[in-house]
Amino acid sequence: MEPASLLEEIRFGYGPRAGTTPALGGIDPDRVLAQLTADDPSGAAWGRPGIADRYALFDVYRQEKLAGKTGKDTAGFQLKALEKDDAETFTSRPATTSLGFFERLVNLWSNRITISDASGGIARYVQSFRDEAVRPHIAGRYADLLKATLWHPGMLTYLTQTNSTGPHSKLGLRKGIGLNENLAREFLELHSMGTGYTQGDVTQLATLLAGMNNDANGPRVDGRRLEPGLKQILGAAYGDRDPAAEIDRLVETVAQRPETALATAHYLARHFIADNPPADLVATLAAAYTANDTELTPVYRALLEHPAAHSLERHKLRSPQEYAAASLRLLGLSGQETAMQGFNKHSMQVPAALARMGQPVFKALRPDGWPEVAAGWMTPPMMAARVDWAVDIARATGDRADPLALTDFALGPYGTPLLRRAVGGAEQRWEGLAVLLASPDFSRR
Amino acid sequence: MPPDFTVSRRAFLIGCSIAASPLLTPVTFAAAKGDNRLVVIVLRGAMDGLDVVRPFGDKAYAALRPGLAADAATSPDLDGFFALHPAAAPLLPLWQAGELAFAQAVATPYRTGRSHFIGQDALENGTGGADGALTPGHDGWLNRAISQIPGATAETGVSIGQQRLLILDGAQDTQHWFPVIESPLSSQGQSLLDTVNAADPLFAKPYAESQALARTMTGDQVPRNGIAFRQLGTYVAERLTGPSRIASFSLGGWDTHHNQAKTMAEQLADLSDVLLAIKDGLARDWSTTLVLAMTEFGRTARENGTGGTDHGTGGMMIAAGGALHGKKVFGKWPGLGENALLAERDLMPTGDVRAYAAHALRGLFGVEASALEGVVFPGLDRGTDPGLLL
Repeated sequence: MEPASLLEEIRFGYGPRAGTTPALGGIDPDRVLAQLTADDPSGAAWGRPGIADRYALFDVYRQEKLAGKTGKDTAGFQLKALEKDDAETFTSRPATTSLGFFERLVNLWSNRITISDASGGIARYVQSFRDEAVRPHIAGRYADLLKATLWHPGMLTYLTQTNSTGPHSKLGLRKGIGLNENLAREFLELHSMGTGYTQGDVTQLATLLAGMNNDANGPRVDGRRLEPGLKQILGAAYGDRDPAAEIDRLVETVAQRPETALATAHYLARHFIADNPPADLVATLAAAYTANDTELTPVYRALLEHPAAHSLERHKLRSPQEYAAASLRLLGLSGQETAMQGFNKHSMQVPAALARMGQPVFKALRPDGWPEVAAGWMTPPMMAARVDWAVDIARATGDRADPLALTDFALGPYGTPLLRRAVGGAEQRWEGLAVLLASPDFSRR
Repeated sequence: MPPDFTVSRRAFLIGCSIAASPLLTPVTFAAAKGDNRLVVIVLRGAMDGLDVVRPFGDKAYAALRPGLAADAATSPDLDGFFALHPAAAPLLPLWQAGELAFAQAVATPYRTGRSHFIGQDALENGTGGADGALTPGHDGWLNRAISQIPGATAETGVSIGQQRLLILDGAQDTQHWFPVIESPLSSQGQSLLDTVNAADPLFAKPYAESQALARTMTGDQVPRNGIAFRQLGTYVAERLTGPSRIASFSLGGWDTHHNQAKTMAEQLADLSDVLLAIKDGLARDWSTTLVLAMTEFGRTARENGTGGTDHGTGGMMIAAGGALHGKKVFGKWPGLGENALLAERDLMPTGDVRAYAAHALRGLFGVEASALEGVVFPGLDRGTDPGLLL
């Protein structure tokens, strides 16, 4: 497929990759959207085991833990290794992809609908959540994305849904246990509407979701936890027969709500264009969402066609993941290289670097995910960590670099003349590269 | 390697503001209102309060803890009923001076499970929900508390460690710092970098803050999993002798399912180091300081089959500081008899750990009673003042 232009790589991807020749011109919506249906040439290289392949390992891990077994031949050890590779995929796949827009969208939706290992126990699910619940729906309907993420075992575990029990269910009456509103609340607050619902809706939704489960035996609603009777949610009734289908019907209704259209439009516009996106852009995206039965591709098209997408000014700050990936791409690296001088154990240890920049991989602090605005990444420790990354990677790779050529390749006409002068004024090549990588120009998109 | 680099491999302490350094802006020193200080330590993993402060006065204790309490003879007596774990002996002088206390049988309201994940979130968020569900803001109670302190600024609260703690996260601006090792860059490279960052309105301020502070500090990195807990305590004290008045950090490693005797001895040595270093670092300011160390829940009354204890309910809070009315074990002791235990396994909680924090916030910083029970800990019934403060 046709390579992306420089501005497309910067604003809608992870920056230009060494060894490629970006297309001329600015943003071409058709060219960008073609990524959504293209074959990913590096997809096979980054394929990770799906959840079905992991369940057996979880099972052995549980048994070995009960038996107190430790050491290198345990499932726990294998699980750790698997999770480490998952974490490296988080930076290396964007660093090497030719479909930057697609990968940005995977991250964006995995962030709006977050599962996090911040308190442990979730890391094993995150890769599957991203690959199996989010990735297949990037170019599909938001309603289907919501269903897939809601039902994912990682989500049910993270937001503590699995033990939620209808107070009048069999189990509820016998044990005196009840609802957990965690997932119901975040679904309405963070994943979809954001506004326009009441605490009553949350409670009723929690009642509808009671008994939801998904594990090696597949998705289902546990009849022993199922609350009998009708639930009134957002002014409509949901029943207790075929509860899984009723949950999906509710998700469909919520996805179609105007509040969801607006919140989703705002999330996209804020991610790609500006921390405070133009109101007309948000309105345009919301209208495209509503007019197309929650299909996302028409919303992306509306975004790419809007004048704000074509602006030469770059208002957004790259997240640590985007920033690290952009540096790796510029230098033709994947992040997994060994023999990197100056790094501890000669490895860049990208996940650890991301943690210092404020983004420990798969460990967003809260269910609302990573910051989507610049201020969230600009505390002095995080800023200092960006500079450290720039200096370390420049020192390791920049002895023979041509920092001015790299500046032109990375930024073309979009960089400032001041940066070009500063890069050219460095005493050593590697320091010129450090100045480029640690510059505001390079952090903006 | 450029030879002219003078401050390489240094650690630096960073806040959200350049004013975090007393060296740079003595003015803000004066601007900080009040002398009282609060340190909240989040003990991650569920500390076994029954092992740290041992209720030998309870007839049932020895039988519940045949292995763990085998070193009873070397446990320093506290008040004739409770005795201290031998590894916490470095803290005895504090106890004698009235600068150490404990609150037994306390817990957060979280009851529906015994998950570290939910329990720590509940502890830091301050929720009143038995299921541990977070309050709508998903923020920390210490953050909400600072927003209610008259005269508080962005420098009042500081979260220490690589990640911002949930307990201090939220709408109120707070500082965040941890030591970072910086790589060497020549002074000229540094100045070029300064120039391009200074020219960008979004970057100028935060970049300058991190770099300027870096130039005023020297020291080494704190290895968080190593032995330098004294150093951590010293850094905390440094923050508190500047404009910060409230600091929080976490100490992990308390999840002692196996071989607790060994792990607990190490943990208590580390905790003692941190507390004593904070005291030493604060010097005369120790007299107006309160330290509260809280954990997400307690552990089973009975020791398990692997020389450890499992997740329980009623736990213990540690309090220290010159502002403390100490040498006392607070809390209503529920007893350890078969019928006294929760679900026949856990120490029955008789007090809400949040109530101690609330009374401390009232006494130290004058947070209004209505704000404590409405904003900081929604729905909390503080009850009568336990008399934690002098």
